[in-house]
Amino acid sequence: MTVRTRRRPRTRIGWRAVGTWAAVAGVLFFTLFPAYFMVASSVSVQTGSGTDVLLPEALTLETFHYVLTEAGFLLYLRNSLVVALITVLGSCVLALLAATAVARFRFRMRTSILVMVLVVQMVPLEALVIPLFLQVRDLQMLNSLIGLSIVYIALSVPFAVWMLRGFVAAVPVEVEEAAYIDGASWGRMFWSVLFPLVAPGLVATGIFSFIVAWNEFILALTFLNEGDKYTVAVGLRQFFGQYTTDWGAMMAASTIITLPVMLFFLAVQRGLVSGLVQGAVKG
Amino acid sequence: MGDPVATRPAASTAGRRPSRRGASLRARRRLLPWTLLLPALLVIGILLLYPLLRVVLLSFQDYDLSNVVSGESDYIGFGNYVQLLTDPYLWRVALPNTVVFAVFAVGGTVVFGTLVALLLRTLGRIARTTVISCIMLAWAMPAVSGTYVWVWIFDVDRGIVRQLLQAAGLVGPEGINWFTERLSFYAIVTLNIIHHGFPFVAVTVLAGLLTVPRELYEAALLDGATAWQRFWHVTVPTIRPVFAVVTILSTIWDFKVFAQVYLMPGGSGANPEVLNFGVWSYIRSFSRQEYGLGSAIAVMLTLMLLVITIVYLRSLFRDEELR
Repeated sequence: MTVRTRRRPRTRIGWRAVGTWAAVAGVLFFTLFPAYFMVASSVSVQTGSGTDVLLPEALTLETFHYVLTEAGFLLYLRNSLVVALITVLGSCVLALLAATAVARFRFRMRTSILVMVLVVQMVPLEALVIPLFLQVRDLQMLNSLIGLSIVYIALSVPFAVWMLRGFVAAVPVEVEEAAYIDGASWGRMFWSVLFPLVAPGLVATGIFSFIVAWNEFILALTFLNEGDKYTVAVGLRQFFGQYTTDWGAMMAASTIITLPVMLFFLAVQRGLVSGLVQGAVKG
Repeated sequence: MGDPVATRPAASTAGRRPSRRGASLRARRRLLPWTLLLPALLVIGILLLYPLLRVVLLSFQDYDLSNVVSGESDYIGFGNYVQLLTDPYLWRVALPNTVVFAVFAVGGTVVFGTLVALLLRTLGRIARTTVISCIMLAWAMPAVSGTYVWVWIFDVDRGIVRQLLQAAGLVGPEGINWFTERLSFYAIVTLNIIHHGFPFVAVTVLAGLLTVPRELYEAALLDGATAWQRFWHVTVPTIRPVFAVVTILSTIWDFKVFAQVYLMPGGSGANPEVLNFGVWSYIRSFSRQEYGLGSAIAVMLTLMLLVITIVYLRSLFRDEELR
């Protein structure tokens, strides 16, 4: 609709359109080039140099085969999936309960808790990694995927609460009241009425938690030092040599890591942006 | 303010009381929110707040491998902080690498993101949706793989940038190692960060732009304002809160950049010229086992972020009470 208001007399439309589309092309090139270059490097037969992979002469999936089997990425994928699934389940349950509390009830310290949940997200992981390492070490849980998942639940819960809060608040209170009139208890209302209505929000929150667990690097790097416990983010480092790097394998592994995140991102983009802005602006 | 916000009414009607039920039920109702909050608060408390307290305590100790083994603590007061603040390395390398970098990265991200948002506004519905989906892909690229892609693009020997520059005659056959020079190292980090960070700014600013009433532009147009004047005097003041949010969030994110530096050649300690606060703290703690000193660096980083966060919260809640 905004386009209509910006229309100019006919003679100037041509140049304006050319400029607009040139800018769009530039933005798209900058945005997509790294992803293109990554995929092209992973399927190119020749990965000796940058120009070799820019327009691959012949394509192969051999690199993927090598990365998944010999380089152990199947194992890392499995580890990452385990960690991500535990994180998603844990943070969804905790966040749904907490979001219901802050969106549906008024109680003392409610504002303080909301501000605390917001502020705690600003704490840099670099500050948490040292005490968490000592804590996890004392508990003998280094190299434990469960231990890592529990920490990831803590990392994703604050934002998940902010995100779900909006979804819970959006459910009309009248729907809840109707359930009470029909004689439902609070628990019955929660599971049979509220839960199904915020399910889309839970999907968005779950995907967000998945991405947190899948991408996290610094804690996984510190907690996991046995090769068979690596997650994908840490496993990627093995291709990076001090003097030579197998860029074909590196890019194939990067593609494997990136694909699920991109798919999820496209699925969740609306909720993610509104969640960020809402958590940020609305309070 | 933003479009997405308007679609989610706040819980204004929440907090009704059960009318006909008894007093015991009312008491249970009072405890219910706390019961619901308890698991999340426990996890946050044990795994985020307690470690935060502990890192502050560690920063006042001389804590190395022997302490890790014995579990004893060795308090030295502000010793770590005095050592750090009198170290020229902090002032010459780590602080500029953190703050100056953040200024450029945030500036670049916000300016570029805003330009893209302005461009998106002029597009038709289908084109706009397509372009947004594409730029989302840049946001979705995990930091780990994204960083390696940029390292590959700028690879010193065989990278595409080097080959293009050499073909154009701008670089001799001996090449340039841009990962050893601090400035070029951070130029690549900045490019990486802008590429990863601008989609959030673009999409958020676009949401803000679409809320600006059209009448304002029409009035400005009648008054003979140029496009530039309309932007500065109509758009910017109207969506100033959006700019505040994206700027401060980007600042917080860019101060604690870790993987994007650590995974670059030399970024994990081999080249001390390129460390920022986060990586410096990590290397002191885990490569040199000086956990106390590393904690002190991390606490200083946290304090810087805390100041930015307070500014952020003030700009958020200035004219609106938290509901």
